Amino acid sequence: MTTNGEGAEMEARGPPSLHLSTRNGNFLGKHRLSAAISRLNQEIQYLQEELNELETMEPSSAACKEILLSTEGKPDAFLPVTPGPENAAWHRWFQRVRSPHSRKWWTHKGSSDIL
Amino acid sequence: MSFSELKDRHVAATAMVNTLRDRLNQKRQQLLDTDVAGYAKSQGRTAVNFSSTDLVCCRTLQGHTGKVYSLDWTPEKNRIVSASQDGRLIIWNALTSQKTHAIKLPCAWVMTCSFAPNGYSVACGGLDSECSIFNLNSQVDRDGNLPVSRVLTGHKGYVSSCEFVRDQDTRLITGSGDQTCVLWDVTTGQRISVFGGEFPSGHTSDVLSISINSSNSNMFVSGSCDATARLWDTRIASRAIRTYHGHHGDVNTVKFFPDGQRFGTGSDDGTCRLFDMRTGHQLQVYSQQQANNDQDVPIVTSIAFSISGRLLFAGYSNGDCYVWDTLLAEVRIIQLVH
Repeated sequence: MTTNGEGAEMEARGPPSLHLSTRNGNFLGKHRLSAAISRLNQEIQYLQEELNELETMEPSSAACKEILLSTEGKPDAFLPVTPGPENAAWHRWFQRVRSPHSRKWWTHKGSSDIL
Repeated sequence: MSFSELKDRHVAATAMVNTLRDRLNQKRQQLLDTDVAGYAKSQGRTAVNFSSTDLVCCRTLQGHTGKVYSLDWTPEKNRIVSASQDGRLIIWNALTSQKTHAIKLPCAWVMTCSFAPNGYSVACGGLDSECSIFNLNSQVDRDGNLPVSRVLTGHKGYVSSCEFVRDQDTRLITGSGDQTCVLWDVTTGQRISVFGGEFPSGHTSDVLSISINSSNSNMFVSGSCDATARLWDTRIASRAIRTYHGHHGDVNTVKFFPDGQRFGTGSDDGTCRLFDMRTGHQLQVYSQQQANNDQDVPIVTSIAFSISGRLLFAGYSNGDCYVWDTLLAEVRIIQLVH
């Protein structure tokens, strides 16, 4: 356990870079520790701010309601049943398109319709 | 102040942080009165009628000779850029499956790519810790290779993720193994802002993924090996807007929900989660039931939402791709791909 006297002894000496002792009072260690404490204090402040925020925050059900509304209001090509209007741009993926470098025709796999 | 006094302060501050975190967790738990599935069921919703016969493969893009790590669409959704550890970016006309460019990369260990909104350039990054920009209209060099038009240097670790800012062709955001995200000006190659790093609210481990909010391009989320996701405002580099806790392992992938108010995550803990951007609430966990707890749970490597958000596509390390009903948190399809 070091005492104040020892710390004062350290500061009284020459430039800190010459005193990288392995004893508890080394300058670099104190510097790093101070920086770490500053970061922790900053984090404490952020955490307290967040705690204050939670005092008046609405519960998760509010967000869940919004998700339901937003999801069910949008047309989705993947869904078997989806709100309209249909997006005409979706059809291009199921039309026959000649691949220029081969004889392949891309068409709706599994469909019996030849477009 | 003596070293020992500083140590005592450090111990006290650490204890205070832990106490506050516990209190925060408890308060958040109290505010979770329901999850999305619970709410949807209470409103009479049932799982969407969707099975593997409803999913049609309409294109197979063949050409890479190594694992494909990343891909991105143009905003018009007619072209794709893909990045593979065969050392190439390939640009595809998605409609015809034609390759329009095959770009040999200076560094084969690419991890991410992005298409610029105007469709004229692509960006990629990886283990070289740089982000390379290619202009698709530039002339090829003597060896037939497209030259790099700009290199974004400055990261001190691998570039895991990059995305052009949607309404600005000149801005790009990267996520890196150096624990930071960076907003770049692509025309000058300069860093505009660094998110994290020396600031206390930054990630404390590698950033693995980023996603820019399609409704508000000033906001983006990042996912990290520190098991959190963080929300950033590009105009405020000094601190993260919010940190999202819940995952028990690396957050490998983050993706904004189509409404721009929520985002999904995928993690080494084998789950996907849905978070509310504004409040920080964890709204839903998408978790595979494991009959045998000793088995390793496959990790989530990649996620995407369908255009309405009703479907959540999740890729896992064992090669599975699950399609989840986002609202009911039920798996609709387990599809082995490739």
